[in-house]
Amino acid sequence: MHVMTQMQQSFSMELPSLVPLQLPSRMETHLWYVLPNEVKSTSLLKQFYQLLSPPEKDKVLQMRGDDLKKNALLARTLVRTTIARYQKNHAVDPRTLMFKKNMYGKPEVDWQNYKNCNNPPLHFNISHTDSLIACGVTVHVPVGIDVEDKERKIKHDVLAFAERFYSPDEVKFLSTIPDAEVQRKEFIKLWTLKEAYVKALGKGFSAAPFNTFTIQSKAGTQGGYNLCKTSEMSVNSLEKTKKCLCNEEWKFALLELADSHYAAICIEDDQDSGGAPMKVIVRKTIPFVEDELISENKFL
Amino acid sequence: MATQFSASVSMQTTSLAMTRISFQKPALISNHGRTLSFNLRRSIPTRRLSVSCAAKPETIEKVSEIVKKQLSLSKDQKVVAGTKFAELGADSLDTVEIVMGLEEEFNIQMAEEKAQKIATVEQAAELIEELMKEKN
Repeated sequence: MHVMTQMQQSFSMELPSLVPLQLPSRMETHLWYVLPNEVKSTSLLKQFYQLLSPPEKDKVLQMRGDDLKKNALLARTLVRTTIARYQKNHAVDPRTLMFKKNMYGKPEVDWQNYKNCNNPPLHFNISHTDSLIACGVTVHVPVGIDVEDKERKIKHDVLAFAERFYSPDEVKFLSTIPDAEVQRKEFIKLWTLKEAYVKALGKGFSAAPFNTFTIQSKAGTQGGYNLCKTSEMSVNSLEKTKKCLCNEEWKFALLELADSHYAAICIEDDQDSGGAPMKVIVRKTIPFVEDELISENKFL
Repeated sequence: MATQFSASVSMQTTSLAMTRISFQKPALISNHGRTLSFNLRRSIPTRRLSVSCAAKPETIEKVSEIVKKQLSLSKDQKVVAGTKFAELGADSLDTVEIVMGLEEEFNIQMAEEKAQKIATVEQAAELIEELMKEKN
């Protein structure tokens, strides 16, 4: 028997079975996160490694540095184990899940192995920082998430950065904030919201350059956000004006995670939801070990 | 099939007190007893035919410096032409800041669609040299 197979077999320890999960309801997002600092067991990490496909293993090994390798491993493990749990009655083997990319490179589940089963149309998206790995899950509607460390320092001048990449209305909003620290935080919140939208759209960065759309707080709501797309309109043959058109197709939520991160979620809006705020169920997890429902959530 | 395996496998054992994991691909040994050692760095094939020459070493060096600064890497972190930003832990915000740093250093402006496609040090250096050539 080929030695590589021997080595792989000698590592296949029995993992406990995954606890199955109820699917998110329509217009509800399930947000899962792992804190790498809480996963210390080397034997557990070795077991996680065995869940990955060969290309995923390669990608983990390519990361430069043990912490980066560990986080890459945890990210793939979180995706595989979480999706595996959302199957009817019992979780499927996370090793058997297959993934593909849409034509713009957005990862999605490839259900070809499960032709005979009633597969829920699950959508997912992941994001991570050095200290937190998150995965958002929805049914029926595309989802995009982005997480950032609240304390993340921007190496460039925040306004210069915004002028280069954000929309004019967003630059205006940021420039009216007198306190530099508050300004930095608002910049980061905006970044996560914008990233979440582009990722939900799933068509790559060039389909929605950051300066072509504006996200702003909905006046009079707690945690509602508006998306406006700027488009050029010809007033006459000499003048062109930029108009901001409100877009009702996407819903946003922004919250604080683990006291340390901003997390933005964007999902395609079901017009039947009647403008209701997004429902989010947040759970902290260590795959195979424990889930913790986070019931008090700070929506921003 | 539950297997009990002994600790004597050719993967570095780490004591549980340490939180660092050392991942190493086991070296393959052929049946004839010759050791085949695999070069773990895969060469990443370029996705496009480049008619111009590969970027100058000085440009690669400058790009590497800016990348290391942005990602707060140590001076002795190895960054070469083929290094992917993602492998160094760069996220999308880092990539945008790297682009800004490169624009400042070389006094150029990168169109967003082109900047988005940069994934390695070499690709950044090539785009920079292309833009500098157009300027002059």
